Amino acid sequence: MIKQREKSIFWSRLSRNKLALIGGVIVIILFLIALFAPWLSPYDSGKIDVTRILEPPSREHPLGTDELGRDVLSRMIWGSRISLAVGFVAVGILSIIGVLLGSLAGYYGGWIDSVIMRFVDIMLCFPTYFLILAVIAFVSPSIWAIMIVIGVFGWMGVARLIRAEILSLKEREFILAARSQGARDLRIIFRHILPNALSPVLVSAILGVAAAILTESALSFLGIGVQPPTPSWGNMLTAGKDNIDIAWWLSLYPGLAILITVLGYNLLGEGIRDALDPRLRD
Amino acid sequence: MDKIPKMKITILSAFLTLLLLMLGSCDSCQERKETVKEPALEEPGEPAYGDTIVVGSIGDASNLLPPLASDSASFDIIGLVYNGIVKYDKDLKIVGDLAESWDISPDGLEIIFHLRKGVKWHDGVEFTAEDVMFGYRKIIDPNTPTAYASSFEEVKEAEILDKYTFKVTYKEPFAPGLASWGNLVVLPQHLLEGEDITKSPLTRSPVGTGPYRFVEWKTGEKIVLEYNPDYFEGRPHIDRYLYRFIPEQATMFLELKAERIDEMGLTPLQYRRQTNSPDFLQKFNKYRYLSFGYTYLGYNLLEPKFQDIRVRHAISSAINKQDIVDGVLLGLGRVATGPFKPDTIWYNPEVKRYPYDPEKARALLEEAGWVDTDGDGILDKEGEPFSFTIITNQGNEQRKKSAEIIQRNLKEIGIEVKIHIIEWAAFINDFIDKKNFEAVILGWSLDPDPDQYDIWHSRKTKFKEFNFISYKNPEVDDLLVKARHTMDPEERRKYYFRFQEILAEEQPYTFLYVAESLPAIHSRFKGIEPAPAGIGYNFIEWYVPKHLQKYTK
Repeated sequence: MIKQREKSIFWSRLSRNKLALIGGVIVIILFLIALFAPWLSPYDSGKIDVTRILEPPSREHPLGTDELGRDVLSRMIWGSRISLAVGFVAVGILSIIGVLLGSLAGYYGGWIDSVIMRFVDIMLCFPTYFLILAVIAFVSPSIWAIMIVIGVFGWMGVARLIRAEILSLKEREFILAARSQGARDLRIIFRHILPNALSPVLVSAILGVAAAILTESALSFLGIGVQPPTPSWGNMLTAGKDNIDIAWWLSLYPGLAILITVLGYNLLGEGIRDALDPRLRD
Repeated sequence: MDKIPKMKITILSAFLTLLLLMLGSCDSCQERKETVKEPALEEPGEPAYGDTIVVGSIGDASNLLPPLASDSASFDIIGLVYNGIVKYDKDLKIVGDLAESWDISPDGLEIIFHLRKGVKWHDGVEFTAEDVMFGYRKIIDPNTPTAYASSFEEVKEAEILDKYTFKVTYKEPFAPGLASWGNLVVLPQHLLEGEDITKSPLTRSPVGTGPYRFVEWKTGEKIVLEYNPDYFEGRPHIDRYLYRFIPEQATMFLELKAERIDEMGLTPLQYRRQTNSPDFLQKFNKYRYLSFGYTYLGYNLLEPKFQDIRVRHAISSAINKQDIVDGVLLGLGRVATGPFKPDTIWYNPEVKRYPYDPEKARALLEEAGWVDTDGDGILDKEGEPFSFTIITNQGNEQRKKSAEIIQRNLKEIGIEVKIHIIEWAAFINDFIDKKNFEAVILGWSLDPDPDQYDIWHSRKTKFKEFNFISYKNPEVDDLLVKARHTMDPEERRKYYFRFQEILAEEQPYTFLYVAESLPAIHSRFKGIEPAPAGIGYNFIEWYVPKHLQKYTK
């Protein structure tokens, strides 16, 4: 457990890191946008108006309209929900799998460790994108499929991190003490080891959210991610690509949204990592 | 994506190029009196031989042996490599192709074809009546997996009278009879005799009698054809024909603008908004004409919820078809009301229509027992929400956008629609052929002959057949059979008018739109003369004046 003093060091270090602060602000704003989407979006994001197709930004439609005359701003706002949901659910899934398998491997060692880590190696051999594409080809694409697939094929890094932490932690005296008092394995893992091993996972999870959002956008861009009519930044970009000559706003704004979001999570994640790193302590 | 029109119209026995529709609207392009040609730089210049035309296509061909082919890309190539016995001319009249003339007996039961003499297959062997007989036998052979057998099954007897004379006798008068002897049945017997034609090398490297000879096919990349110097109608002017597959409309358009392809079918957005610069209009000519084909929303009638006619009426009333024409086609097309092309003599303008009326749709659904009992915004009946999936093929933006408009329209009356877009081969093999769908957006391209037996007759609902929505109506069956066995056009027309009334009443499809074909062709190509048959009918006369030729060997 991070002690009180360490916590305050963490916060003061984090708040002195300007980039991390910017990242944090971006992430918070995105949360608020997603949370208040119904109140923020000026139009119904699915409202089709065939008389106003591909209109450039104007007072009425600040970010223009898309190929079916829908308001781009409203669709971007609703799209932020998709990004957040995919990011967090996918990372939740991969973290749970990674932590479980990593803990087992690290704590028990021996053949369990060998089996799990060889499995990790095997999974790492496949380029994740192609693996995901192959799986999506068999299930019908939906937001749920995307989240699960990203989660199920992304846990290997977390498993390795956790295993390495546990390998060092389990030799420490406090663990020996717990064991000598008769604590059982599960209790030792969950009560004593994991809480101390989680900070690198936290960092990798935040960076993982950025990666998951990027993956979702890419899959939706290819048409095998989030399906219409649900707006997602990725599938909005697809329409943008087809009309890039005549409707730059369809590509620019969703592209910017993806860029800023991914940047925000990365800045925040790296800031937290630096703040947690004892070697950088002043 | 519409396909690019070209060549002579493929006469399909069944008139369906199932294929149809991959791309949709135009495929054998026909028609329309007021074909519009946008202005462009017109420089006359003497007809000359030489140069290459590069044509862009969304889809790759699948099989180049005519009876086995089932997509428009394959027929684009087949139309250049093979000939029929007859073909349609620019005014959609039937004229001889490999036949010099023919005699029809007064009772309409016998046709005697007098074939051209001295025509050579591309490998130099002479074409004779034996080849026609061979093609005919293959197409009616139950072991041949072809979708086009039904017209030929009407033949009672086929005989070779001499080397250049071929006679067929029908069981009863058969109206599409003459037109059915197109390019599906002329096969080189000397190359296929005794072989399993599905495994023949000719499925990938065809040998025909047509204006162009096959050179090579790189799967997923291109097909190359070269002029046939011995062609019986004279040597085609353009030396080479390069068919390039570019599976993405926006990329293809970039290639067009870079002049790396010479011809493609534009999307409505490209036609209206991206091709009006003086620079583009100087480099390319644009054409537009109503295509011979239509796009529809079809219901799988094996699904209990679609068996209720009130439900189908409700959906047809809830879909704003004018919005689709305005928003998806940008006005370059018309609302469809039935399976015939408007402005043909077979089209019945008086059928029941379903103007946009969501109130009426709601009332009909309520009458059918669909009400929102749990307040979630989706109608339900016996605990089951009204939700279904529309499938359509990948690569056709117009269909995808239509699906999104339909999805929105139906949401407003409480029906949840999911859209599933599927790659073409899987779409046909795993979903359409196996009837594994609830509703589908697809199109049919039509032949000038009005026979639609294969699409609507209740006997045509088996695996891989075209009535995949399982439509069954005894009166329609009867009308289709009577109409194809009537030689009198007036009487035939009456049958088809009644047939359209029934379809309009029953709405087994919600007919969506008839799109215009919008080809753009590089302006160095001269001799293109739009006619009711479109632009491809006189392809061998297209030419590039010597000083404008771009590709020299």
